[in-house]
Amino acid sequence: MRALAIAPLTRLPLAMGAAAFIFLSLFLLYPLWNVLSASVLTPDGTAFTLGNYARVLSRNFYRASIANTLLIGLLATITTTLIAVPLAFAIARLDIPGKLLLIGLAALPLVLPSFVGAYALLLLFGRAGIVTQFLNAWGVPFGSIYGVPGIVAVYTLTLYPYVLLPTVAALKAIDISVEEAAQSLGSSTARTFRTVTLPIIIPSVLSGALLVLIETLENFGVPAVLAEDMPILSVETYKLFIGETAANPSAAGVLGVLLIVLTASVLIIQRRYLARRRFATGARVAPPLIRIGGGWRIVATTYSWAIVLLALVPFFAIVVLSFMEFRGPVLHAAFSLQNYAELFATAQRPLANTLLFATLAACAAAIIGVPVGWILVRTRSAWTSLLDVTATLPFAVAGTILAIGLVIAFNSGGLVLTGGWLIMVLAYTVRKLPFTVRASSAILHQIDPSIEEASISLGVSPLRTLLRLVVPLMLGGIVSGMVLTWVTVASELSSTVVLYSGPWRTLTIVMFQALEGTGAGVAVAAASLLIAVTLIPVLAAYQLLRRYELSML
Amino acid sequence: MRNITLQIEDGEFFTLLGPSGCGKTTLLRMIAGFTELEAGEIRIGDRRIDILPPHRRNIGMVFQNYAIFPNLTVAGNIAYGLKARKVGNAEIATRVADALALVRLHGYSERWPHQLSGGQLQRVAIARALVIRPEVLLLDEPLSNLDARLRVDMRGEIRELQQRLNITTVYVTHDQEEALAVSRRIAVMQAGQIEQLDVPEAIYRRPTSLFAAQFMGTTNVLTGTVAPRAGGPARVRVGSAEVEVADLGAREGETVRVCIRPEALQVLAAGQAAPAGMAKLQATIVGVEFIGALSRLDVELPGGSVLKVAVLDNPATLARSGDSIALVYDPARVIVFPQGAS
Repeated sequence: MRALAIAPLTRLPLAMGAAAFIFLSLFLLYPLWNVLSASVLTPDGTAFTLGNYARVLSRNFYRASIANTLLIGLLATITTTLIAVPLAFAIARLDIPGKLLLIGLAALPLVLPSFVGAYALLLLFGRAGIVTQFLNAWGVPFGSIYGVPGIVAVYTLTLYPYVLLPTVAALKAIDISVEEAAQSLGSSTARTFRTVTLPIIIPSVLSGALLVLIETLENFGVPAVLAEDMPILSVETYKLFIGETAANPSAAGVLGVLLIVLTASVLIIQRRYLARRRFATGARVAPPLIRIGGGWRIVATTYSWAIVLLALVPFFAIVVLSFMEFRGPVLHAAFSLQNYAELFATAQRPLANTLLFATLAACAAAIIGVPVGWILVRTRSAWTSLLDVTATLPFAVAGTILAIGLVIAFNSGGLVLTGGWLIMVLAYTVRKLPFTVRASSAILHQIDPSIEEASISLGVSPLRTLLRLVVPLMLGGIVSGMVLTWVTVASELSSTVVLYSGPWRTLTIVMFQALEGTGAGVAVAAASLLIAVTLIPVLAAYQLLRRYELSML
Repeated sequence: MRNITLQIEDGEFFTLLGPSGCGKTTLLRMIAGFTELEAGEIRIGDRRIDILPPHRRNIGMVFQNYAIFPNLTVAGNIAYGLKARKVGNAEIATRVADALALVRLHGYSERWPHQLSGGQLQRVAIARALVIRPEVLLLDEPLSNLDARLRVDMRGEIRELQQRLNITTVYVTHDQEEALAVSRRIAVMQAGQIEQLDVPEAIYRRPTSLFAAQFMGTTNVLTGTVAPRAGGPARVRVGSAEVEVADLGAREGETVRVCIRPEALQVLAAGQAAPAGMAKLQATIVGVEFIGALSRLDVELPGGSVLKVAVLDNPATLARSGDSIALVYDPARVIVFPQGAS
């Protein structure tokens, strides 16, 4: 029996899907098309050429930017995985004191702005850093954290939850009887872990690791703060496009396309081969905790708490420093509210912008994302798959590149948006759409479709059923998707830095500009404010987010 | 699914019965409007409904998993369809109370779904479907999520309710016992087609296909050859035994399948003669399974064919593996199908 797509039942998903698709075509695909065409057209825009690629790739500097980006990405992915898997095992299977708090704190780096972490590292261990100077004063030599080591360290400490969370979930989803079967067949504990447990969780580990890789490839803020002279793809793309001396959109397009090709291929591998294999065994109860001896318990506890706290130290340091006195870039160990006074004297408007944009983007992402999530779960056709791919694509597109595409697409012609606030909100909405889509579909999987059918058969139209029955039932997922959107938009830098104009600066831009100037005091105050702005909603919606965090990765 | 023509009478309890994947649920969902028709039409009386969207069909549906709205109370669930019909508040209150009384859930109106048991959720689902006064009531495997004892109680209750309200009902199940117990007529379905449509007794006793015979309860299927007719009754040779049949419909020498139900075979007490009109078979017991009210015997006919025999529990007779016994049966209860039949 084939149910043909016709008539009233399919009209609603069709209309909603078409609307979402038009939105994504206009503000995601069309801008990306513009980046692509900028990269393959002659400067006057009339003829097709691969000359831009040849020119960019012939320069050592840009070849190095690709190599550096990949090197840093791979190193960070490896270190992240190496620290996160043992931590996941400790959290999922060992008896560690304060575990609930540990889990809560371990997820925090996901929402804290990574470039603030990078900035903290700079303040503490940079050339004029507090710790560096302290060590130098005692005659202890201290290497440079600029370039690879610093960037990899920041990525490792801020991105490890991407590996940690899916691995913990996989370890908890293992049906313990599989391990017991191995042991009753004569396999030792260690051998069982190696031959049974590990193979089951590996898809989850790799799936998380690839997300880390994508994040590192796309990230703008961390290399912008720590790379110094080292060329990094996302930063060089930005520099080429903004070009203080001569903007070069075609070269920026080339780097942008290369970056998208990298991230998209990683995403395809992640989705195609790994994400689906998650939770290979579905246990109803989590496996019991393994009893370990005193010595090992101390080791596991110390290790777990050390990593989780270490990842939060930079943020804590920023907040502490923000209450100290800066004279220019020089820190004095005295309590002061001077930084905040300075910040609020100049940054009230940016703070208001940040809150406004985050709110608008969260609402827009929900309005578009919830119907898309519903369509993806409830209907199945070639169009559904296309919508799925399109709605997942923002994961693979660096903010810088999307922003460049938006600028090229909407700076002339029928729809001029460049320089305004709308283009920023649109960029945020597109970028964060996967959060609401995925949170919505995750919760919809738990709502039996017959609930909707029951409502319809009782005489309520499909649209009203969706609005009055399904949306209220989905509220938990929708809200957690919106909170995550809100928080990540508030700390968004990569597309903002391309799109903002005078009156529409945000807190992240204030901080970014203060970094480049000498206003370290304003920068730490802005960074602390950003931490507060992201942390408060997350803590408020903590229970909800815990339930849906995994589905949104 | 193809070539299905059905006419269900007003007030009839009609069941679609078949194994999973036979198309019974698809057919039900076509009536409800959740699966589109590629061709053909569905009418209620003179009103053509297959062109209407599902929310305009005025059909009551009870889902397999109840589909109770978890965000509404019992009363809220039952009032849901009435509110969609813009029924006034006062009338809603009376009709909800009446519906609750109908399914014997007085006093449960302010409970939340998570506070109810499976059987109670089922009653809410039925009340919710009936309160809108639908022209047809559809039930999609409504009892499959209940435990065995409750299932028997609920099916009696559903049947009783249906009789009292005299509402045209289409019931989908894969459980043949349930279908036999509640239906006025049953359509046995397989591979998107109706195999047999009749009253329960006829379907059980006179299945028209081997599939229907095997799907409805347990039956013995033996392969044999039609024996030469030497003046006496028709016989089918199975191994070295001969089975007497009343209604043959096959020519001499043809290979056929012979079906006989376990309870149609009776053990003849030693030394007794077969009652008039009954045929006799000699056999050896090869297995005994005591399950309480019944003993199930496996008996071997001369030539090696094994038959299942159901014997009511009787302390006086003791069946042991290895015993030789005589079985008697009414040849009219033996059904013969041609060899090619599925």
